[in-house]
Amino acid sequence: MPEKATWADISVVGIPRSLLYYRFGVLWTTFFESLGRSVVVSDATDKAIADRGEHLSVDECCLASKVFMGHVDSLIGRCDAVFIPSYPTADHRTGFCTKFQSVTDVARNTFRDQKLEVISCEVGNVRKLRDVRRPFEELGVRMGATRAEARSAFKAAWAAQAARDKALAETQERTLRQLVTQRRAAATHPETEPPLGILVVAHPYITHDAYLAGAVLDALRDMGATVVFADAIDHDRAYKKSFEFSDTMPWLINRELIGAILLTEDKIDGIVLISAFPCGPDSMTDDAIMRYIQGKPILNLMIDAQSGTAGVETRVESFVDILHFQQKGGYTHG
Amino acid sequence: MAKPQSMIEQVRSSIAVEFDRKRKPTLHPDKKADKKAKHRAKHHRPKKAAFFRYCYYDPAFKFFVEQVLDVDYLPLPEATRQTTEVGVQNSSDYVCTPYKHILGDFVEALDLGADMVIQFGGPCRLGYYGELQESALRDMGYEFEMLNFAHGIEKGYLGWAKEILSKVNPDIDIPHGVVKLKGTAKMMEQLDSARDYFLANGGFELERGAYDKAWDAYMNALRCAADERDINQAYQQVMERFAAIPINKPKNPIRIGVVGEMFTAIDERSNLGLDHKLMALGVEVHRMLNFTNRYLHYNEPNLRVGAKDYLTYDMGPTSTLTIAAAKQYAQSGFDGIIHAKSAGCTPEIDCIPVLQKVSEDFAIPILYLTYDSQTSDTGLDTRLEAFYDMLAMKKEKLS
Repeated sequence: MPEKATWADISVVGIPRSLLYYRFGVLWTTFFESLGRSVVVSDATDKAIADRGEHLSVDECCLASKVFMGHVDSLIGRCDAVFIPSYPTADHRTGFCTKFQSVTDVARNTFRDQKLEVISCEVGNVRKLRDVRRPFEELGVRMGATRAEARSAFKAAWAAQAARDKALAETQERTLRQLVTQRRAAATHPETEPPLGILVVAHPYITHDAYLAGAVLDALRDMGATVVFADAIDHDRAYKKSFEFSDTMPWLINRELIGAILLTEDKIDGIVLISAFPCGPDSMTDDAIMRYIQGKPILNLMIDAQSGTAGVETRVESFVDILHFQQKGGYTHG
Repeated sequence: MAKPQSMIEQVRSSIAVEFDRKRKPTLHPDKKADKKAKHRAKHHRPKKAAFFRYCYYDPAFKFFVEQVLDVDYLPLPEATRQTTEVGVQNSSDYVCTPYKHILGDFVEALDLGADMVIQFGGPCRLGYYGELQESALRDMGYEFEMLNFAHGIEKGYLGWAKEILSKVNPDIDIPHGVVKLKGTAKMMEQLDSARDYFLANGGFELERGAYDKAWDAYMNALRCAADERDINQAYQQVMERFAAIPINKPKNPIRIGVVGEMFTAIDERSNLGLDHKLMALGVEVHRMLNFTNRYLHYNEPNLRVGAKDYLTYDMGPTSTLTIAAAKQYAQSGFDGIIHAKSAGCTPEIDCIPVLQKVSEDFAIPILYLTYDSQTSDTGLDTRLEAFYDMLAMKKEKLS
């Protein structure tokens, strides 16, 4: 069926800075910019956005998806249409939480009375270039581009996202290498403090949203820890590694996180899991991680709208104390 | 809407400190157990398989295990409070409620002598139930095998067949198995069809319990069925028996459509006897959601066409069925809709904003029910009665 150019007159595309923006955002923005559109990304999450999202959502939703609704709301009037793609579980091992599948229609229905224009596409298996290219090509055609234009826009977008992922992964690798060198140095020179490497394991839309996880990261850094992000470790390697942990885990991001734990385990001192209450996939994978990843202490933190930063700080502090105590040989002869 | 309070008030951080690695970081069963399982399968040692408790499908599971897998079936007695408690104690706090119920069922089955439990795979969290439950049960100390349909799911029927042949019974006569599998599907269809009749008329019986008696007899007949002829005969008998029960059905009764999540909206243990509570109020109950409509006859894209004002994409495992059914009920003049789901069921939570629009557009009241393991029975009674009274008053006003 030939696609009609129903979205041809949209010149400013709004993108909510939330959920999968933190994973595929570069691909999305580059795609629209290559098609000659301007892109407005919503501002960083603040209390107003979070409160607005909470008000707009069913109260059983997870915190991250509530925040998402706030971001969509903040884009009303600032763009011609909001881009909200649907990411269904196209493959049984690279799927997503059903939230990412339903979010397009949830937003369309929630903002129906405001007449919010939502443009979208349904993306297949995100690990396969062709599965992602097709929906984006169709989206481009619906926006009035020719198939060739859409294809080259996608090509640029895919490359930009890959480059960014690679750069982030390299940064993590560098940090990990540094940790190893520092540790070796500390072993030979007893007067220097050994470093404290903490792997933060959380969905990227939690880790990199300062409103949600900022307090945790700040507390860790204030205590002198070096933070490594599990979500930024080389996605492909982490995904493949995850099959050593679990055969049937259906979620791509959780697979990458668990794979990152297995890949970096030997180079870090402790693991901090952060989940947004009540995250569906994490409710199961955190349980598995807490029971099966041994050898490194794990702090499992659940954040929701009510939790203040004070609670977070004391928890992080006591966790880091455990790690320091262990570094000094504390628990080994207990 | 009722907030599942139990979830909110629990401690939000925990620490695991284990400096020695006492186990490998993997959910795979260790090599020794794996080898033992394969050996047992190869020699087809007698096995006792158990399913979890799921609605009224127990006879179909029995038929599947005995006729298709050709191993013994271990039926489970009625669930008790203890079942749920064991499940809750051994699950993480905010995992969806069916996971906890099923874990409790498996513990009970293993205590009763089962050495194999069977779990489905699916597109939401259900796809991970099996592996996590298997690890939890092993941590509790049980030794058993799990036939987990989340394995092999990527290859569909072929993958599952391979899984069964290698794990359960390598000597299955495949053509015979296929015929019996068709019988299982037939039984499911007929169970659903009989249930539909039961729900529509059971609320108006003159002699209390007549429908339940006929239903129990049907279940017993099916448990003895060995082939498709027995299945058809039992169905014919129950439908005749249903039709012969005298009822006093008003011309225009209160009609309620039940929509929601695949487990909780159907399973009477999880929804605290929703079917029977509604029928006791004298309601004609309809529920499009069942095994037949979700698996055997499910054509999601076509179903979505009917609800395209609300849906652009498939929103989740049963979401299209939920929305399409709600819209159909609203269009055909039902008095109300009940949306039932377990606490934390993400796909069904996401249906709520859409259902709210359906409710607005067709001016049809919707009662949203969220069940967790602590939902109170009397609380539910009160809400259902209030909902019924509201519908009855509305109906009176309009007529």
